[in-house]
Amino acid sequence: MKKTVSLILPVLIPSWRFFKAVEPSPRVQWAVGGAEQSQAADWQEYQPRPQTLSIGRMLQRLFWNPAWNDALFVVSCAERIALGRTTHSINEIETRVRRDIHAAGKGGQGGTFKFRLVFVHHDGGQRVEDVVFLSDPASVGDPI
Amino acid sequence: MSFDTALRATEILLALAFLQQCSEHILGSAAARGLFVLRAGLSLLLLFGLYSPWVLLALSLHSIFVLHRFDGPYNGGSDRMGLLILYCLCLARLLPEGLAREAAFGYLGVQVVLSYFISGWVKIVNPDWRSGRALRDVFGFSAYPVSENLRGFATRPWLLWAMAWAVMGFEVVFPLALLHPASLVAALSVAALFHLANACLFGLNRFLWFWIASYPSILWVQGRLMQGI
Repeated sequence: MKKTVSLILPVLIPSWRFFKAVEPSPRVQWAVGGAEQSQAADWQEYQPRPQTLSIGRMLQRLFWNPAWNDALFVVSCAERIALGRTTHSINEIETRVRRDIHAAGKGGQGGTFKFRLVFVHHDGGQRVEDVVFLSDPASVGDPI
Repeated sequence: MSFDTALRATEILLALAFLQQCSEHILGSAAARGLFVLRAGLSLLLLFGLYSPWVLLALSLHSIFVLHRFDGPYNGGSDRMGLLILYCLCLARLLPEGLAREAAFGYLGVQVVLSYFISGWVKIVNPDWRSGRALRDVFGFSAYPVSENLRGFATRPWLLWAMAWAVMGFEVVFPLALLHPASLVAALSVAALFHLANACLFGLNRFLWFWIASYPSILWVQGRLMQGI
């Protein structure tokens, strides 16, 4: 009951503080395998954005944008993990990363994967990347 | 706009926004597909005006399961606005006729005004927004730009400074649009274009549909306030 109230209250009394400040922004990266995944080159970005997007595609996405909206949910999960709300968010990200691994053709040999959260921000004009979370190994499993 | 017309218009727009959202879950991301099949069915009933009060109640109860499923809103502010519209509509249909019904629906209109004013206010008191730095950061490193090329905007500080002030200025003066029906229609048109731009640049498509669904409430509130004066 307490949980339900905590979920509904921000709907009934919204804060509307959109972009009050631009906080460090999370990126989800994953790596398949064992010890070698500590190498920077082994980390793959989850759902990298395209280099360009035509106006036509942008307008089409007004009506059909499931992958992007799911990626925004992953961003929310990453922010929740950074705030200490972990179990649900870790599971949600793992499910999606597992799907990404199979889509990239890297799930064939089984084994395990990890994901990490890299928070990007600017400090004195320099781009800074902080790794704030590294997941435990999870099974690559079967394609979903 | 009469109370009944505004309620019905909001129901139709909310049903369409829910159907757009459901189609993405059912056919696209497959996130909680079963839950959204149910919401889609109820939204169709709402769209055609069948059993509206009970459908709104069922959608409201169902929304609790969706909130639990994602441990909060799936899509932040847009989901919250969608549910706020839903709860206000539900109360406006179920409460006894009279002031209570009007208050429930009027609360939605007030929240629409606040959604612009507060988000403008929190920006304008922030030096990073006033200097254009915050919008540079949004384009430069936030998760929102839909393509890498859009990050190039971060290298055009004067353009972003002007954009930041245009957004903040519009948001904080939005309540003044209530002074006249024509100014409110003009302000809502600009606001819809603002959401359209956000949808194109940052992929926030659901914000566009849910905020548009809330507009009949503020049009009704404005008319009601004019009546009272």
